[in-house]
Amino acid sequence: MRHLRAWLIRLAGTFRKERLDAELSAELESHLQMHIEDNLRAGMTPDEARRGALMKLGGVEQAKESYRERGRLPSLESVRQDLHYTARTLAMRPGFAIAAVLTLAVGIGATTAVFSVVDRVLFRSLPYPEDERLVSFGVKAPFEGIEFMLAPEYAVLRGRQNPFESMTTLTPGGSDCDITEQNPVRLNCAVVESTFLSTFGIRTIRGRDFLTGDDRPGAPPVAVISYGLWRSRFGGDPKVVGRELSVNGKPLEVIGVLPAGFEMPNLAKVDMLLPQVLDEAALDRSNPRVLLRAFARLKPGVTIEQATAQLQPWFQDSLRFVPPQFRAEVSLRVRSLRDRQTADSRVGAWVLLGAVVTVFLLACVNVMNLLLARAAGRRRELAVRAALGASRARLVRQALTESLVLAILGGVAGWAFAYALLKVFLAIAPDGIARLEQASLDLRVLLFCLGVSLLAAVLFGSTPALNEPAAEWLAGRASSTTARGWFRQGLVAVQIAFSLMLLAGAGMLLRSLWKLQNVPIGLETQHVVTAQVSLAQHRYTDNARQLAFFEDLETRLARIPGGGVLALSDTLPPSGGMQATFFASIEVPGRPRSAQGTGGMVGWRMVTPSYFDALRIPIVHGRGFAEADRAPTEQPVVLSEALAARLFPGQDPCGRMMRFTAFDRQGPWRTVVGVAGNVKNNGLSAEGDPEFYIPWKNDAETYVGRGFAIFRTSLSETSIVSWTRSQIAEIDPLVPVEFATMNTRVEKLAARPRFNAVLLGTFAAMAVVLAALGVYGVVSFYVSQRTREIGVRMALGATSTGISRMVLLSMLRWTIVGTMVGLAGAWFGAELMESLLFGIRPHDPMFPLVALGILVAVALLAAWIPAYRASRVDPMVVLRYE
Amino acid sequence: MGESKLDLLQGTLDLMVMQTLAALGALHGYGIARRIEQVSGDKVLLNQGTIYASLVRLQHRGWISAEWGVSDNNRKAKFYSITKRGRKQLAEDAAYWERLSGVMGRVMAMGGEGGNK
Repeated sequence: MRHLRAWLIRLAGTFRKERLDAELSAELESHLQMHIEDNLRAGMTPDEARRGALMKLGGVEQAKESYRERGRLPSLESVRQDLHYTARTLAMRPGFAIAAVLTLAVGIGATTAVFSVVDRVLFRSLPYPEDERLVSFGVKAPFEGIEFMLAPEYAVLRGRQNPFESMTTLTPGGSDCDITEQNPVRLNCAVVESTFLSTFGIRTIRGRDFLTGDDRPGAPPVAVISYGLWRSRFGGDPKVVGRELSVNGKPLEVIGVLPAGFEMPNLAKVDMLLPQVLDEAALDRSNPRVLLRAFARLKPGVTIEQATAQLQPWFQDSLRFVPPQFRAEVSLRVRSLRDRQTADSRVGAWVLLGAVVTVFLLACVNVMNLLLARAAGRRRELAVRAALGASRARLVRQALTESLVLAILGGVAGWAFAYALLKVFLAIAPDGIARLEQASLDLRVLLFCLGVSLLAAVLFGSTPALNEPAAEWLAGRASSTTARGWFRQGLVAVQIAFSLMLLAGAGMLLRSLWKLQNVPIGLETQHVVTAQVSLAQHRYTDNARQLAFFEDLETRLARIPGGGVLALSDTLPPSGGMQATFFASIEVPGRPRSAQGTGGMVGWRMVTPSYFDALRIPIVHGRGFAEADRAPTEQPVVLSEALAARLFPGQDPCGRMMRFTAFDRQGPWRTVVGVAGNVKNNGLSAEGDPEFYIPWKNDAETYVGRGFAIFRTSLSETSIVSWTRSQIAEIDPLVPVEFATMNTRVEKLAARPRFNAVLLGTFAAMAVVLAALGVYGVVSFYVSQRTREIGVRMALGATSTGISRMVLLSMLRWTIVGTMVGLAGAWFGAELMESLLFGIRPHDPMFPLVALGILVAVALLAAWIPAYRASRVDPMVVLRYE
Repeated sequence: MGESKLDLLQGTLDLMVMQTLAALGALHGYGIARRIEQVSGDKVLLNQGTIYASLVRLQHRGWISAEWGVSDNNRKAKFYSITKRGRKQLAEDAAYWERLSGVMGRVMAMGGEGGNK
């Protein structure tokens, strides 16, 4: 306890240094005076008296020193000293300090911003307890990108031994749910099994979870509401549990509230969870109709591979109900939840992280070069300090303090830069990148930023500090730097290598983007506006109502002011999402059905006759649809070129018959009346599926919950939008309509590649700038060290151009090394990035070579400036300076 | 041995300072140094400056307290006095030294006898 007290007083003493020092001086002075007086009284002369007293005291400075050792904490003292010294030296050369801090800010800031984004995709755990045990599982089939379960098979699995601690499902697509009492609002609801929240380990913050009873048909309707809905609609009422809500015209009871940070496993935004309520028909194995998404928590210690193996027996059993020719194309898939959420963003995230780490390293290398250059200039000072008694450790510590201060300043500036950068990212980012909108600068990111700053300090701080002060530095002569020269030049070679890789990568992404945006879609997008109309199921309960709506809609919208073409369609290219069937389900009279496999997917659309005209899709053979084709008796069909080639290879398809199966009902025999040009119908990068078109008929056979109105018009977008809205509102004001021009819809498909390209391009540009600065720095330094040598050469007859050439050649060697390494790196990097590219060969040499050209040009430019300065050296001035 | 020797000397110096203050009451630095010189005959005090390190150490441990005052010759000086805790510590240390010197004496005497055999 005594020691703690003593230590605390000493700590306080460090901070009251001046006052205590003054007191001590006064005390010692009075001590001396009293001694002198005594000596005088004893008979000594004033001189003797003073000398005697001083000798007896043993030296004022020593007394002060021994007092200081005891009175304060010397270690803290020296740290304070170092900081003070650092501040002074940095203030003396503000240019250097600003350059270093800015470079660090860019490096640290960019890294922090990118980390906050990719962290959620790559590293951070999901907001569920023990999230690594959560999996998504099911059947993988060619027509459905995400694994799914059929309700009856799921029920069977539930009844058997399985590798899961708990399982749950949700119904894909959620449901429209509208609050239909006062203040009607359209909400998003998810329809989930009663085990949903417990499987994910989520507890309601009010009320209760679902019980198995809630899932039974005929159970009183209940719902669990989201935190947001609780606050917005119920004002955070603590007695919300038990209150009634009228949804889709029916009352249901609120039984619980979800916590604030709740997240759906499919990342959908939901306001309410509703129980699934599967009835007998849904569980009929012979006629599976209900599709579910299944999730589960693995038993502790069970791996995904083990789980997959354990599920095989059940899976094989369920294949009994799949037609034999399709069985080969259906497989079992179990994957982690994180995998399901981020599968398509992962490569992009890694590439981004790699790019920004490169930029960070380049920034550190630049600061390292700056410090090395400065250290060379401070050799004399270091030597003096060493001679005065500073230990090597002390000098190293002082250098490290300086690096640390620079790094912390850079980190703070970087934090601000990261904040701005993140705002920019979120503004330009497209939808669909998992969790992007959650990226924020929170504590975890702050710790990362600090860690990165410290790493930077260590990286660039340790090198200059390791130089041993040599005695000859005291003489102040600038000695040759060849010993450390190769290190710095090596660093710049590394910079050039990395910049080359980044540039090549960015070039590839940009070219991919350009190709993607210019890929022929098969239709004309100019002057086309689309409107998506969705009919809520609870208000348009049967076909008749839906058809009546669309009939009315068509009549009204056909009268476009200013003329133009109107068409209706149930789905729209080039994004996917159209109705589809297997190729194998298409029958041609006189031909046996193919026995092998599904034959792949074939899409189909229901369109009004003016569809082909509205989108300017060419009819390459035969004709499109006419109004007469919409009569109930007529069954025409228009094939796409690809489908015609597959169904009737080498023959004229017009007049031939075909029929297909949809919704488990075999369609009528249809006559092919024409062939339309191929249109991209599965996104921009994928090969389109073959498809066919049937006319939009207003008969009882059709089921349309959603449709698109397509306008080819010369009117401005705003006029068309407002006119259409008013027309639809006259039919039914509660129907939601979404407008978009065709151009916008296509652009959105290229949004993700555009984002990647922009980001990588930005980082590549940063890298090139940093590398250029690095080259400039090293060559400048080289020139400044060799000023005398240059003067001698010029005195001996070298010309200006000769000098410039000498300087430029000196940098050639390591530039070549850098580019060699860079080219190799670009080769490997291209393979990693392959999934992000479109329309280009990853090993196309054009990209690395163009990048090489750009870098060499930039490096030459950066080196030319100091080379020019070197050639301007006046030998007389230089030689005279000693 | 250098560090520990210094510590040992400092320890004894601390003790002498406290004893001086306990015997003579409040005293300034110079007075303490003088008194120790007189008593120990210049053997312990390497130089008077080491007093101050000692004084600061004792202050930190709360065994002495300090106050600015005026000396007999009308000179401003810092006066130190022993605290109650200091007196207790002094008594303990004094007892320890007595025991130690007793034991050392016996050990030294025993060595002498042994040599004779």
